Amino acid sequence: MALSPQREAAAAQIELDDTDHRIIALLRADGRLPYRSIARELGLTEATVRARVRRLEESRTMRVVAVTDIEAAGYGMLLAIGVQVENRSPEEVARELAAIPEVFSVNVVVGAQDLEILMVAEDQAALHQLLQGRIATMAGVRRLTPSLAVNVLKNQPDWVPFHDGDAP
Amino acid sequence: MSGGRRLDELDRQIVARLSEDARISNRQIASELGVTEGTVRARVKRMEAEKQIRITAITNIDRFRQGALAWIWIEVERSHQVKDVARALAAISELGFVGEMLGRSDILAITMVRSNEHLAEFVHQRISGIPGVRRTESTLGVNFVKHDYRMARIVS
Repeated sequence: MALSPQREAAAAQIELDDTDHRIIALLRADGRLPYRSIARELGLTEATVRARVRRLEESRTMRVVAVTDIEAAGYGMLLAIGVQVENRSPEEVARELAAIPEVFSVNVVVGAQDLEILMVAEDQAALHQLLQGRIATMAGVRRLTPSLAVNVLKNQPDWVPFHDGDAP
Repeated sequence: MSGGRRLDELDRQIVARLSEDARISNRQIASELGVTEGTVRARVKRMEAEKQIRITAITNIDRFRQGALAWIWIEVERSHQVKDVARALAAISELGFVGEMLGRSDILAITMVRSNEHLAEFVHQRISGIPGVRRTESTLGVNFVKHDYRMARIVS
């Protein structure tokens, strides 16, 4: 997979050893696990664990964050939408779509669609406004092929792109 | 969907802080928001217990050089099989998203693969054989432009 030079540079390379992987695994299971408990679990000192976590964060390898349930955040609908693009580069359309807060995942793909996006909406009226008022009229967007998630059984994307300008 | 799970204003302020850095202490959040440490602790505990938030480590996909996202659309033989097929898919650890869908296909599953060959092998070995699966259609991502990790459907 080709990465842009900025993104190559942004992911500062540090070598991850077994201890790093075990710390990440513990924090995936419980992001609020105290340093003391991690240290006890892995047979390390608390200072070592703190330093390791700081190194993982500073090298932009890992972040410990709160993920909010979309329903709790007030969004009643989740959709996956295929986007066909014409007369504009898919990357450009992808960036413009990425600026919409409700569009929470944007991927440039190869196949029948040029982009695959995931988006949320508060309700049908808000969805209609977003699709017809904002996305369908965007330069380069030819056709939208939406599909509505009626039951999400699993949603744990542990791998995401970190971007410059993201916090912190 | 029900509105009973919605966050109030103080919840949102706490979550906004935690979605940047969840290793921050309750005391720090409390002093920033002008509430007691006990309030913050109780709110965080409740939001986690009610699955309104999940506090977790996420890793940078750019650290995994060969990773590409694959979108796998699955159609079932008979509509009543959707639930069982989706359950079987949700049990596959490599899949990060499994949803029953209306419109383009019956089920959408998302995973990370190393290559087109890896994707073909994964679909063939892990998905095609699930009883009820009629056909699949896969799309390979070439550039993961955005994923707002602050949002997800929290189910487990």
